[in-house]
Amino acid sequence: MKRIFIDASKCDGCKNCYVACMQAHRKDTGTIYDLDLQNPDNESRNHIVIQKNGSYAPIFCRHCDQPECVMSCMSGALTKDKESGHVYYNEEMCGSCFMCVMNCPYGVLKADTTTKTKVIKCDFCFDHGSEPSCVKACPTKAIYVKEVEG
Amino acid sequence: MKHVIIGMGAAGITAAKTIRELHQEDKITIISMDDQVHSRCMLHRYISGERKAEDLSFVPEDFFVTNRIDLLKEEEVVHINEDKKEVELKSGNFISYDRLLIATGSNSFIPPIVNFKEAKNVFGLRHLTDAVLIKDYASRSKKILVLGSGLVGMDAAYGFLEEKKHVTVVEMADRILPKQLDETASGAYQKLFEQHGCVFELGKKAVLTTINDSDEITSVVLDDGTIVDCDMIVVAAGVKPATSCAENSGITIDRFILVDDSLKTSCENIYAAGDVNGIAAIWPNARKQGMTAAYNMCGIPTTYEDSYGMKNTMNFYGLTTLSLGDGVISEGDEVKICEDSCQYKKAILHDGYLKSIIIQGALDYSGIYQYIIKNHICLNSIKTDIFHLSFADFYGLDEKGQYEYQQTGS
Repeated sequence: MKRIFIDASKCDGCKNCYVACMQAHRKDTGTIYDLDLQNPDNESRNHIVIQKNGSYAPIFCRHCDQPECVMSCMSGALTKDKESGHVYYNEEMCGSCFMCVMNCPYGVLKADTTTKTKVIKCDFCFDHGSEPSCVKACPTKAIYVKEVEG
Repeated sequence: MKHVIIGMGAAGITAAKTIRELHQEDKITIISMDDQVHSRCMLHRYISGERKAEDLSFVPEDFFVTNRIDLLKEEEVVHINEDKKEVELKSGNFISYDRLLIATGSNSFIPPIVNFKEAKNVFGLRHLTDAVLIKDYASRSKKILVLGSGLVGMDAAYGFLEEKKHVTVVEMADRILPKQLDETASGAYQKLFEQHGCVFELGKKAVLTTINDSDEITSVVLDDGTIVDCDMIVVAAGVKPATSCAENSGITIDRFILVDDSLKTSCENIYAAGDVNGIAAIWPNARKQGMTAAYNMCGIPTTYEDSYGMKNTMNFYGLTTLSLGDGVISEGDEVKICEDSCQYKKAILHDGYLKSIIIQGALDYSGIYQYIIKNHICLNSIKTDIFHLSFADFYGLDEKGQYEYQQTGS
């Protein structure tokens, strides 16, 4: 499977990945220049935490080999796709119980800010083709896609 | 190899799927009293009318075909014959197995209150069949009494309130959701439910009932003398493990079906997963147990390790809460609280270890807390305060790009 690898030492916290994710998942259309950065409907699936020592920790969904979120999903909304190895989220099926948020050991998941009915989850930009938008936007190659045994 | 699985809840379905992934040629049969796969955690959305019965399934429509699983639905196992390696069905048929998994879950517990067992209008809420009966009966009812304010009780109350019923919840404890929440967090939900018309009788027990000629309870008397009129009663006073199929079979039962680390029962070739074995009666653990049992049934020795079950999330009227641990404050514990108009957080620590935490409001990125509690991670060396912890405080990656927790502060 393809996984987004992280070299945290190269991350300078520019948040290009964050904005690219917002742009990739916005409901309306437009360019990055008219993307409403304050609209919670455009939430990013990834985030970066600044550490006490000033370095940056990019928090990105791992599409885990043994995904705890999938195991905790009682509606069948979260599934591990056998072919791609990625963990996909079906909004229609979601029961909004947020057991997945509690069970992600890395604290990657969150509920959507506006309605608290959906989970904000990386989809590997599967409908955008090629590489995920965050990876394409990273100027330092702190995140890159690599094939691993799924 | 022939695998027989009794039950098609979280554990049974996961076991079947895992066996199929591991062994393409094995025969898999599921025997279930249910008539369709459904998520028990979503029955309230059926009662409320938000979902149809078929939308409660947590597997794709073609699950049994794709995975080549024989399904005997609405069928009950009445006896297990270990010597002959076969199960006897209520219909009189016998099904043989090489490996058997008991994943029968649990049933509602109906407390010994006078007339409760006999009355026609008292229901447990555990299976879709219960929910169907309840919804049908509720359509002819105006006043509904819910006994017990755990998650099942509050789910039921929510469903009825959405259908504009007059709902009274009776709870023995002094607050609702007493196992998961403290007074403050519980109070927030109580207020929301009251705003939607719910009436609460807290710190009270049902002691007497009045029953009419049609065997319907028409009112319940509480221990303080309060009389609650009702057209129907939903009992949410806990569950009991569904062990009946294993009785008189040589399988050791001590309230639950006892299992070893591989989830094997006292009998060779017979395993038990999910609520029925009493390890941790909660969805993610049932699924993991189904997976572990499947590995062992396929001859791949696997130990079940995740026995942490004191965890839950809830979401009523858009207010989300996460609760980990038993919430009990003992001597020497450190209690930290962070509260504003939109959120309430309380952590109970002991000697630098997190024991319990409640987060009410935004649950963003809160997944780490379960890991920290479950894996006994010492927080003494971490400078970030408890409510601002993130995976960044433990940041590490392995060669496959998976995250891994790093020992910090060294």
